[in-house]
Amino acid sequence: MLKTLDAVRDVSTQATRALAAIALATLALAASSLPAFAAFPDKPIEVVVGYSAGGGTDVLARVVGKYLERELGEDASVVVKNQPGAGGQIGFTRVATAKADGYTLGTFNLPAAMAMTYDRKAAYDVDSFDYLANVVHDPNTLVVGKQSPYHTLDDLIEAARAQPGSLSVALSALGGNDHFSALLLAAATDTQFNLIPFNGASMARTALLGGHVAVGTMALSQTIGFDDELRVLAVLDDKRSPFAPDVPTAKEQGYAIEMGSYRGFVAPKGLPDEIKTRLRAAFAALADNTALRDELAAQGNALDIRVGDDYRALAKVQSETAKALWQQHPWK
Amino acid sequence: MYGNLIDALPAVLSLGNLAAVVIGVIAGICVGALPGLSATMAISVLIPFTFGMDPLVALGMMAGIYNGAMYGGSIPAVLLRIPGTPAAVATSFDGYPMAQQGRGGYALQVAVVSSAIGGIVSALVLMLLAPPLAKVTLLFGPTEIFWVAVFGMSAIVFLLGGDVLKGLISAAFGVFVSLVGADTITGAERYTFGHLELLDGINIVVLLVGLYALPPAIGLLEEVRDFDTQNTGRLNTTSIWKAMPGMLRYWKTWVRSSVIGVFVGILPGAGGSMAAFLSYNEARRASRNPEEWGKGEPEGVAASETSNNADTAAALIPALTLGIPGTAVAAVMLGGLLIHGLQPGPMLFRDNPGIVFGFMWQFLFAAVLLIFLGGALATNSFAQVLRLPRPLLGAIIIALVFIGVYSINGRLFDVYLMLGFGLIGYFMDKLKFPLPPVVLGLILGGFAEQNLRLALRIGGGDWSILAASPTAKILIAMILLVVLAPLFSRWLRARKTSRAAA
Repeated sequence: MLKTLDAVRDVSTQATRALAAIALATLALAASSLPAFAAFPDKPIEVVVGYSAGGGTDVLARVVGKYLERELGEDASVVVKNQPGAGGQIGFTRVATAKADGYTLGTFNLPAAMAMTYDRKAAYDVDSFDYLANVVHDPNTLVVGKQSPYHTLDDLIEAARAQPGSLSVALSALGGNDHFSALLLAAATDTQFNLIPFNGASMARTALLGGHVAVGTMALSQTIGFDDELRVLAVLDDKRSPFAPDVPTAKEQGYAIEMGSYRGFVAPKGLPDEIKTRLRAAFAALADNTALRDELAAQGNALDIRVGDDYRALAKVQSETAKALWQQHPWK
Repeated sequence: MYGNLIDALPAVLSLGNLAAVVIGVIAGICVGALPGLSATMAISVLIPFTFGMDPLVALGMMAGIYNGAMYGGSIPAVLLRIPGTPAAVATSFDGYPMAQQGRGGYALQVAVVSSAIGGIVSALVLMLLAPPLAKVTLLFGPTEIFWVAVFGMSAIVFLLGGDVLKGLISAAFGVFVSLVGADTITGAERYTFGHLELLDGINIVVLLVGLYALPPAIGLLEEVRDFDTQNTGRLNTTSIWKAMPGMLRYWKTWVRSSVIGVFVGILPGAGGSMAAFLSYNEARRASRNPEEWGKGEPEGVAASETSNNADTAAALIPALTLGIPGTAVAAVMLGGLLIHGLQPGPMLFRDNPGIVFGFMWQFLFAAVLLIFLGGALATNSFAQVLRLPRPLLGAIIIALVFIGVYSINGRLFDVYLMLGFGLIGYFMDKLKFPLPPVVLGLILGGFAEQNLRLALRIGGGDWSILAASPTAKILIAMILLVVLAPLFSRWLRARKTSRAAA
């Protein structure tokens, strides 16, 4: 490059030649990148995960990435890049502001990612992404220890009404699906609970197992494997979960509460159409992939593929729910 | 259940699985010994590759890395006073003075034997007592953990060093650092100045590396002429097999520190550094010559290293049975299990005994291997590092530290933060402020604060909840005993002397 500059300074004919060469090179680059759309992907696709390696979302991204590679063709390679921090916000922000060329995707957690746009300053909102596909849905539950006197949702609510604010409810964190479940429960039953935000879901569950708190609200996957220690009172979904077919929904027990965590994949807003279609088709094909379904089930995750506009609609609804809860019960 | 333990053995003894443990231990010692690189990082790097591996190969490597790194951290702690891992801070108290006296080789041998013993005890406890100890873990709610943190703070008195005021300022600085980030209970942002990178708080490795690794590295660059190389450069190593019988006199410390390490391991959310601090302090308190501690007492190295390795396998008890990622390493390991569809929880032992019990055997093998790989090979080769020209060594350390800190979260912000701590550490060093209280303040301060507030919140603001459970009452009694016993004995002594005078 320096040599080219010297040439420009010294001889004008050489300068034109050099300029022409640069122009040609640019053209060639542009030309070569045009058919690249057809050949997408021609380099590794980076999936930004806003959490540390080894966490639930990280493992999900790696498992789904493996199947996505197969759907995108034999040359495709999906690489997970961990950008932990601020409860995932650093990762979401990075995806929202990345170049929309299809080579930077990100995992997306609802409703947490949307809650962050209300309870703090965020550099993105619900419209900052091209929604590819939701992949798993993990409904929340209301759960008590095996020795607890509460056997149904009504037992629990009766106790809460007798002494409003006395029942302690363990949550994994503020501003997530656990927290929202507790807020929705309190609103639907017109009573109060004493919310205890722990440092993560497993700490909340341990406090419940040890009898240090009365109730817990956690994702269904967190209760799997603890059948002898925990009693799930209700699943907060519109239908029973295949993972816990004997547990009634809250709706069946007369309280229309639905809350849970959704994890999927998004891209920065403005993907080229061909690439967007290509990626969405690849995700759509995963819906019928029994190997993926089984692999996720072993981790306690239910496959729930919702592609494109369906996923965007889901994000909008989740965003509105988070907004309404934030306005009614600001938590900070 | 013990039948399952035996059934799992043949698979572990296969060549591939054994090789995985050996490679893991060697890799662990190396990353542990390199300041800035940690076991967490090494295992995170491994995670993507574990997909294609047999579960036991992946887990064997992880077990090896975890055990190896816990010992590896002591190598630079002894030789350079730069703890390779947070858990090796207490090792440097006596290890470095020993190195200065030309007994560095012996300090490393004590460290490796103690590490192996702690690791073996811990692995055996994990194999034989995991389910009952998981019940003990459940006794510790926020209230009880708060009292454990208070108990740990009794250690701070010694760590304050000669100048109590400076020591307290250091400790307060550590507590201040623990405050940074979003408060998990109210969501309020504390000292984050709008930086997202600070919302989750400051990673202890960033602080530790800044305070402990940068100033000595700068020191290596400042004094181009050799400073005390004639002592530290000479390790005076005799064969580890000859040195071992002489170490048997530390058996009491080994036993005590193993128990402490295992206990801290099963506590949800504690970690190896807390184990090392507690056991160092207890060993010193039990010693007949406590005034020698901090000046090169091998028993101090033994106490710290036994318990930080005794913490490793024990920390997996709450991790495997309750799914609690007690430490950063345990969290990454749980991810390694999850990738293979192994959900932590009580059912894990029933559904996948082959792998779970195999993993436990691998912990045991890794601990035993430490003596051979760490004692016979690594210790001597790492000691050669000291023969490097000092400026080169300083530069290498600084480069490693940059890589290590950057890779924690993959961002430069942490590197700048580390440089800031380095500057603070440099001046603390020159102004003779002690560093250990900073680390203790960060670990215990955050621990105590969060759990106290959780406990009070559960109790609806009623302070009596702090003494409500039997476990809490026992802990309070222990704290009173520890704090009041020296006062009482001093009073008795004073009375005796005044009587004698009269």
